[in-house]
Amino acid sequence: MNFENLLIEIGTEELPPKSLIKLASNFAQGIESSLKEADIDYSDVIWFATPRRLAVNVKQLASMQKDRLIEKRGPAVTAAFDSEGNATPAALGWARSNNVNIEDVGRLKTDKGEWLFYQGSEKGQSITQLLPGIVEAALISLPIPKPMRWGSNSIQFIRPIHTITMLFGSELVAGNVFGIDSSRMVLGHRFLGDKRFSLAHADEYLTQLKRHFVLADYVERKEYIRKEVNALAASENATADMNEDLLDEVTALVEWPVAMTASFDESFLEVPKEALIYTMKGDQKYFPLIDDNGLLLARFIFISNIETKYPDLIVSGNEKVIRPRLADAQFFYASDKKHTLESRLASLDTILFQKQLGTLLDKSKRISTLSGLIAKTLHQDEVSASRAGLLSKTDLMTNMVMEFPDVQGIMGMYYAKLDGESVEVANALNEQYKPRFSGDSLPLTPISIAVALADKIDTLVGIFGIGQIPKGDKDPFALRRAAIGVLRIIIESKLALDLNDLVDNSIAAFGDKVKTQDLKTNVVDFILARFKALYLEQGIGVDVIQAVLEIRPTYPAEFAARIEAINQFKTNDAAEALAAANKRVANILAKNPISAANKINIDLLTEDAEVRLVEALNTAQTEVEGFTDASDYTNALNVLATLRGPIDSFFDSVMVMVDDPAVRMNRLSILLKLRSLFLTCGDISLLS
Amino acid sequence: MQKFDCKTFQGLILALQDYWARQGCVIIQPLDMEVGAGTFHPMTFLRSIGPEPMSSAYVQPCRRPTDGRYGENPNRLQHYYQFQVMLKPSPDNIQDLYLKSLEELGFDPLVNDIRFVEDNWESPTLGAWGLGWEVWLNGMEITQFTYFQQVGGIECSPVTGEITYGLERLAMYIQGVDSIYDLIWTNGPMGTVTYGDIFLQNEIEQSTYNFEHADVEAMFANFDQYEKASQQLIAENLPLPAYEQVMKASHVFNLLDARHAISVTERQRYILRVRALSKACAESYFKARESLGFPLCKKDN
Repeated sequence: MNFENLLIEIGTEELPPKSLIKLASNFAQGIESSLKEADIDYSDVIWFATPRRLAVNVKQLASMQKDRLIEKRGPAVTAAFDSEGNATPAALGWARSNNVNIEDVGRLKTDKGEWLFYQGSEKGQSITQLLPGIVEAALISLPIPKPMRWGSNSIQFIRPIHTITMLFGSELVAGNVFGIDSSRMVLGHRFLGDKRFSLAHADEYLTQLKRHFVLADYVERKEYIRKEVNALAASENATADMNEDLLDEVTALVEWPVAMTASFDESFLEVPKEALIYTMKGDQKYFPLIDDNGLLLARFIFISNIETKYPDLIVSGNEKVIRPRLADAQFFYASDKKHTLESRLASLDTILFQKQLGTLLDKSKRISTLSGLIAKTLHQDEVSASRAGLLSKTDLMTNMVMEFPDVQGIMGMYYAKLDGESVEVANALNEQYKPRFSGDSLPLTPISIAVALADKIDTLVGIFGIGQIPKGDKDPFALRRAAIGVLRIIIESKLALDLNDLVDNSIAAFGDKVKTQDLKTNVVDFILARFKALYLEQGIGVDVIQAVLEIRPTYPAEFAARIEAINQFKTNDAAEALAAANKRVANILAKNPISAANKINIDLLTEDAEVRLVEALNTAQTEVEGFTDASDYTNALNVLATLRGPIDSFFDSVMVMVDDPAVRMNRLSILLKLRSLFLTCGDISLLS
Repeated sequence: MQKFDCKTFQGLILALQDYWARQGCVIIQPLDMEVGAGTFHPMTFLRSIGPEPMSSAYVQPCRRPTDGRYGENPNRLQHYYQFQVMLKPSPDNIQDLYLKSLEELGFDPLVNDIRFVEDNWESPTLGAWGLGWEVWLNGMEITQFTYFQQVGGIECSPVTGEITYGLERLAMYIQGVDSIYDLIWTNGPMGTVTYGDIFLQNEIEQSTYNFEHADVEAMFANFDQYEKASQQLIAENLPLPAYEQVMKASHVFNLLDARHAISVTERQRYILRVRALSKACAESYFKARESLGFPLCKKDN
């Protein structure tokens, strides 16, 4: 047994960049799990990947599989020998199949009988024997959404395979995978250096490839690109607009990255920068440059796959490519500017929002109405909110947004400013879509808030109103995201808005387009249900969330305030006892329901403990009401916590279910009052 | 020394034809019908079906009515040229063969950044899809490279490799011009002729026709007629003429699209109708070749 580093590489045609990491890491995992299963020792497994290769490097791999203990039970002893004690043909056959003499066979005795028994060890196979099968199995089980065939063969893979290399130390592991014989020949860079070269030792893989202009280590390549881009950006006194997704994609598109800087005509900078950035990043995988003032420069960085003495040729080529694309954006911008957003309202009537819910013009009108009402509730500029709502979808009809859908909203903002709309209205056209994703920023100004809420509520109510309620994974209108957006906006801006009112107003705006039965309850419940996901993510206990959900506060800001208070209350010494007491009270009241109209009759109080509890409740009630009126549930709960003593002594010394119906009713009334008082904050009987 | 002057549009075509002829392709001539892409040519669409080998190359004029810009946009045309290569079965060195063609056109791969960037192809009307790349030359997409997986709803076996060069783009790059209309078509003893000299007026007039004058009602009727004719021809086991009716239907559909005569939901329905016809033609063609015993499989080489 000896230990060596193993190198497995498959050389392919260019692999899809967005799946490269997944393919390479899954390939490594596949190899690793096979090694584990086959019981072959190793110390570590790592992967490399470029557009034209997937590689796995197993460190300190044992040359042999471990020997395996084999235990086999044969025929029963009664069936193995005849009456004269001679072995039967069945017994002889079984022994032969295990390569032992019948005389040497052992016995296995259990309380159910006795059997022939063979115990031996199976010699472990060598890695060179096992490896081709392991590699092929790992390749077959790669997650490939669309496998392809090529030429005349029947093999399927993500892209055609050209080489297979399996080196155990310096030893070539012979074998055939996917119809290709393993060899030392490894693909170099497509154009620089040797097209193929011979690899002598597994350990030379990265260094040899580097000599042949391939940086095979994905992470090294990615960090090299990041460093180069940042350095070039710094020399332009700018920062590169470089998100991780784009950096990964670029890394997966090159083997020998060379960063270059190029320019475009400054006249294109008159176009809103978002549209230019979208074109550069999305279509061309370029890194735009932004200066210290946040302004886009007429320069950009790109990564080429070739090192040449004449980089100018590649730079000018790329400049030639981006020019017509930016010219398109410039043309769209210039032609869009000829029309006001308001003049596009009529064309919104030609685009369906949803068949039963009407056109985008219908939706715009509803958003306008609803935005106005929200602004009014918030004591804000109702007219501006209605205006922003009305114009909210008009930029969808501009050439720019039709061509680059990702800049919807942003273009609306630019065009609105050109039209002379107020800054608040213009910003609302952009911010209406916020939050666009989990963790995104929120609309901040009142007009933006009004439109953002109105748009989301309109979609929620409309889609629920035609019965297309999200189920499981099916949420084509992204209603969950809309609902979470509604909650986040209201909570984080601490708005005094009631979901019931929002939904009511929206339903009214739809008129007869929606079925109103249970609609309000269903929509509000759906929105409230999002609180659970929202707070679980923040690490709030499910019992705390349930305690608030139980009393269904439809003002989200109040909901949030209660969550915070109860979460804090849980750390209070009295919390556990009060939760238990509430549970007890709830149980008693559940078995003995009484009307809330019942009042406590002081004349019927006989025991000290009940007198004291009623006094304490009365005092607490005044204080709690004071706090809850100010949405200060933390202090309300602090007051309630002081009731622990009186409650405990009440239960210790007072019998509730006495024979005298009047006294019994009176004591139940005390409990009801107690319970109602706690329920103003939440159902703390649910705390655990 | 290059045999052809690739700095002219026609020199570029001649160089590509010459190169692919040397690789063994049948140099076929353009299809004499309106099509949206070189893939529609029966040499590609039908010949990709079934086991018989075939390799061909040809220029194909393409019409995409919605891309018309009345000759005002320097980068867009409603009528343009593709150079199409189809190799069946796709040879192992197909990428190298392609790269050699670029060298033949004068692109030194050591000073240009040439890359294969994932781009998968699908034609809903042809019931066809494949996997491959767009080829970037210093960031510009100059070629579509596809391994056909399915054509007319039939699995490709063997697989056809399709290489489609965008001739105008390539020529603009080589000639260093910013407008298609400034491309030099030829530069010979009889003087210089530009792309604009030949096609500018055509672009203006055809855009006007496509967007303003194409008779919507007549085209809807034509579509129905082509569909009916294709179905009848399939019933008569005549896949080749049936397929011509499909191409006519497809072009009429494109014109209706340019006239905004088809709503979003209707659009999908029309695509499915064309697809159904394409599939029927593909199946009928396969059967026809099968009943002949796939004669091209029997050749010695």
